[in-house]
Amino acid sequence: MDRKLGVYICSGCGIGESVDTAKLANVATREFKAPVCRVHPFLCSSEGVEAIRQDIAAGAVNTLVIAACSPRMKTEAFSFDHTAVSERVNLREQVAWCHKPQDEDTEMLAEDCLRVGIVKAQKTELPEPLLETISRKLLVVGGGLTGITAALEGAEAGYEVVLVEKEPRLGGFVATLRKRFPTAAPYNELMTDGMARRIEAVSYHPRIQVLTSAKVARIEGQPGLFDVTLRTESGESRVRVGAIVLATGWKPYDATRLGHLGYGLSPDVITNVDLEKMAAQGSIKRPSDGRPVESVLFIQCAGSRDKEHLPYCSTVCCMATLKHATYIREQNSSAQVYIIYKDMRTPGQYERFYATVQAHPLNFLTQGEVTNVEKTAAGKLAVTVKSTLLAETITLEVDLVVLATGMVPNSADGEAIRALEDAERAAAKGESETQRAEAAKKVEELRKHKGTEILNLTYRQGPDLPVLRHGFPDSHFVCFPYETRRTGIYTAGAVRAPMDSRQAAEDALGAALKAIQCIELASQGRAVHPRAGDLSVPSFLLQRCTQCKRCTEECPFGALDEDAKGTPKPNPYRCRRCGICMGACPERIVSFRNYSVDMIASMIKAIEVPEEDEEKFRVLAFVCENDAYPALDIAGMKRRQYDASVRIIPLRCLGSLNIVWIADALSRGIDGVMLIGCKYGDDYQCHFIRGSELAQRRLENVKETLQRLQLESERLQFVQLSINESDTLPTQIDNFVNRVRELGPNPYKGL
Amino acid sequence: MSEAAVMQPDTQFIQRVMASGGGDLKKCYQCATCSVACELSPEESPFPRRQMIRAQWGLKPQLMSDPALWLCHNCGICTTRCPRGARPGDVLGALRREAIRQFAFPQFMGSLVASPKALPLLFALPTLIFLAIAHWAPKGQVTPHLEFANVFPIPILEALFFTVSGFVLLAFAVGLVRCIRTMRTGGATGKIMQGLLPALRQIMTHQRFWMCDARNWSLGHLLTLWGFAGLAVVGTVAGIGTMAGFLHTPLPLTNGLKLFANASAVVILCGGLILLATRMQDPVKRVGSTYFDWFFLAVLVGVVLTGIMAELTRLEQAAAVMYPVYFVHLVLIFSLFLYAPYSKFAHLAYRTVAMAAAGPWTPKPQVAERARESSAAGAVTTTH
Repeated sequence: MDRKLGVYICSGCGIGESVDTAKLANVATREFKAPVCRVHPFLCSSEGVEAIRQDIAAGAVNTLVIAACSPRMKTEAFSFDHTAVSERVNLREQVAWCHKPQDEDTEMLAEDCLRVGIVKAQKTELPEPLLETISRKLLVVGGGLTGITAALEGAEAGYEVVLVEKEPRLGGFVATLRKRFPTAAPYNELMTDGMARRIEAVSYHPRIQVLTSAKVARIEGQPGLFDVTLRTESGESRVRVGAIVLATGWKPYDATRLGHLGYGLSPDVITNVDLEKMAAQGSIKRPSDGRPVESVLFIQCAGSRDKEHLPYCSTVCCMATLKHATYIREQNSSAQVYIIYKDMRTPGQYERFYATVQAHPLNFLTQGEVTNVEKTAAGKLAVTVKSTLLAETITLEVDLVVLATGMVPNSADGEAIRALEDAERAAAKGESETQRAEAAKKVEELRKHKGTEILNLTYRQGPDLPVLRHGFPDSHFVCFPYETRRTGIYTAGAVRAPMDSRQAAEDALGAALKAIQCIELASQGRAVHPRAGDLSVPSFLLQRCTQCKRCTEECPFGALDEDAKGTPKPNPYRCRRCGICMGACPERIVSFRNYSVDMIASMIKAIEVPEEDEEKFRVLAFVCENDAYPALDIAGMKRRQYDASVRIIPLRCLGSLNIVWIADALSRGIDGVMLIGCKYGDDYQCHFIRGSELAQRRLENVKETLQRLQLESERLQFVQLSINESDTLPTQIDNFVNRVRELGPNPYKGL
Repeated sequence: MSEAAVMQPDTQFIQRVMASGGGDLKKCYQCATCSVACELSPEESPFPRRQMIRAQWGLKPQLMSDPALWLCHNCGICTTRCPRGARPGDVLGALRREAIRQFAFPQFMGSLVASPKALPLLFALPTLIFLAIAHWAPKGQVTPHLEFANVFPIPILEALFFTVSGFVLLAFAVGLVRCIRTMRTGGATGKIMQGLLPALRQIMTHQRFWMCDARNWSLGHLLTLWGFAGLAVVGTVAGIGTMAGFLHTPLPLTNGLKLFANASAVVILCGGLILLATRMQDPVKRVGSTYFDWFFLAVLVGVVLTGIMAELTRLEQAAAVMYPVYFVHLVLIFSLFLYAPYSKFAHLAYRTVAMAAAGPWTPKPQVAERARESSAAGAVTTTH
């Protein structure tokens, strides 16, 4: 492409008062020979934008550098619909608003920002969109309340849906209930399920194909192009779908592990699910002798909020128990109902139902801890409860004990299954006896995952969704509900997080819309969350690939499969464009048309590093675009000041950091390098799940480089930051710069 | 085997408490806002949160033995602060009612006085007695002025009231012994004889009343108490004096004892009317009023009103009015006396021993602080 550079500098919003825009224009015109360079006092005004448009239309420019506010601002005004390469230089939030005005250092910073921006623009190619023919069909796995609702919502939005249920009938758990607890006004009486109506609606919908007694035998391909093999009693069939909603629900926690609460002691110790089943079939009786129940004790959080069992709250058991107390009451007005809880959790309007059930004189509730359950000579169950609100340890004799057990997701741990397969292979052909033994041990450990497969993906990283804590195949429940780590596959309902029917129905809608969004973006060749709309995809210069498999293993989304030798086979529609593969590759064979190792290296080279005798330090900060960069912008908006010797290089994800850049920077005489990325660990905030963690790990390797260069390791700092920490960021930057100053200038300056 | 005894809720007890003013009992969800709001609740064993759940669970023995029932002065601040509308103040009131019933001697009297259905019977007894006296009793000498003794001879009334008083004292004694025994099982270890004097001092000065949120009616209660004490002294002196023969009623208005009696009557009338007005004008319903409350208050105010009216009509020598009024006065005073150990009257005795049994009371720091401030400012009824 014949580059025609146009540099547009805005002097509004305090930029003109802070820096000398004429000098900046000189950088563009003298150093970079930009044929067009304009300074405008109000660039985002219609007049300012119009001037740019006219330059494009006249063919005077095809590579724009807009030096104004943060690229996160005025995105509509400065959008040129891919008619030209366009790059933004942040002179407002990260220069004018956070550094001393009309100061030599601020001026140098602004000039460097412009240089870096111009180089980046020059290295940017317009991406070529993917152009496959996309299937607009949705696959919904699981025909319970969530799955049915997702299918109906998808179909009502105009999309074809295939609904797969492994049981012979639709409706899932909710259809087996006698009644539902109130999820609508007036919140004080039990509700009949309404499930029959939904099942009918889904069964006769012209755009929904329902397959019962069916399983997913295999899923190949990528979003928009998933080839799904379905297995029913009548054989296998294949269907191509664009996106998938996984709504496989939950299973009750294994009560056999609750011996300490009396499970297994007597048939009269049952779970809440057992009680529901009994109630749905007729009346509630003592399982041991069929006699009527005169007294019943519910143990809440049976195995929930318990480190030994399920550490989380399943959110529904309190309401379910209040419902079960109502069943008992309907049957026997003089029965005594005891509820022993850790906390009653009936948020919002559900409180009304709690109050209603509590009002009965023969319903007795207390906080407490069950310490013993035993059979009495008279065939009753004696339950001892300590730490009660009654200020004494009590023993109650009852006919029936009900354990309110929690929800476990019906998921499969794709990564564990893959690890099991690897271990099985290793055990079969281990090179040494110790290797074989180790592999066999691993096989034993992971054996429980065998046969749990649900989606049977043909992905290199395993046949199902990766799971996070406690087996939930979630991504990040606060920031990105429904997202999973497999693009185009969205979870909804209790498989995603414990929830009740009302939340599940809402969840189904959310996931269906995410799936539709994925289909629509894929049909335009665009990325989904979090780089929604991005057209770029990585390309692999496979001639130089050494089959090290780092990219195929590190891709958080399983986008890369492998051939037999281990060469990556990209699936661009699975890709979220984070560039983690680019950061992983030691051969630097991965690049995007608008993001590459060479581009960032050139940007680093564009930074002017003052000579040692100038006594000016330069610190480079690689900054995550998702949290750290906006945090810097916010610091600017708050007019927080920090050291002007820092040069910011935004990265799509810190995981895309290629360590060669650090070596480049240090060997050019830059005095210190900061990496500012997201928090990782169990409560990670990384938009690409593991980016900052991978960057941190790669940093270990850099330490060797530093040793070779005989540089102090303190010249490198890794910072984990979340977006709401903009207040501490300037201090962290200043502290680092000060430490680097104490170390003295980089000895490689000027070499 | 488990260490705790098997617990069995007393479901009838729950239903009685709910039926007699504690109807919202089951709404409590144990947040303990009440215990924090209460200005009399001691920090080391706060109430009424625990009493609420024990009542929900029908744990009658634990409740009957709990001095906290009587330490509450029924200001109702807990009720106004309760987020669930469980009305802890009213529940404690209902529990006190249950305790009075439980300690009653003879037991059936407790149930009778607590039951609105028995009201005609309760009044029928004295009505018949005094009708009989008026009809059959031998009439005394004709006096120059009309006297009540003309219709209700003093010796007969003396005999009747000394008998009733003796019975009432016995009933109270048995009730108090039962109460103290029960409280001992509940772990109230304070030395009663030692605690009695400080307790009486606190009661006579209404120290706790002034500190707690019952300030709005503490004046009424104080006047009622003092007026009652005055009249009790007058009654005793007059009764014994008449019997011993050194006093002859009616006393002249200038007589010192008569002056004291009339002053006491005015004091108790003011107190009783304040209490009545407070109950009737409780706009936020911070304190619920039950039959039990109204019975006691109505009889008390009735006694005072009819007493004053009887005196006035006697001074006027209005024969057509003075005897019927005095008759009503006698019926009411008889009811007040005879039913005292079973009506709300009994709180006077039980609260006194409970305060003694609970031991010395340290107010919460913030309550003590506020009391100091308000006494320094010379104001008793500060708003907060």
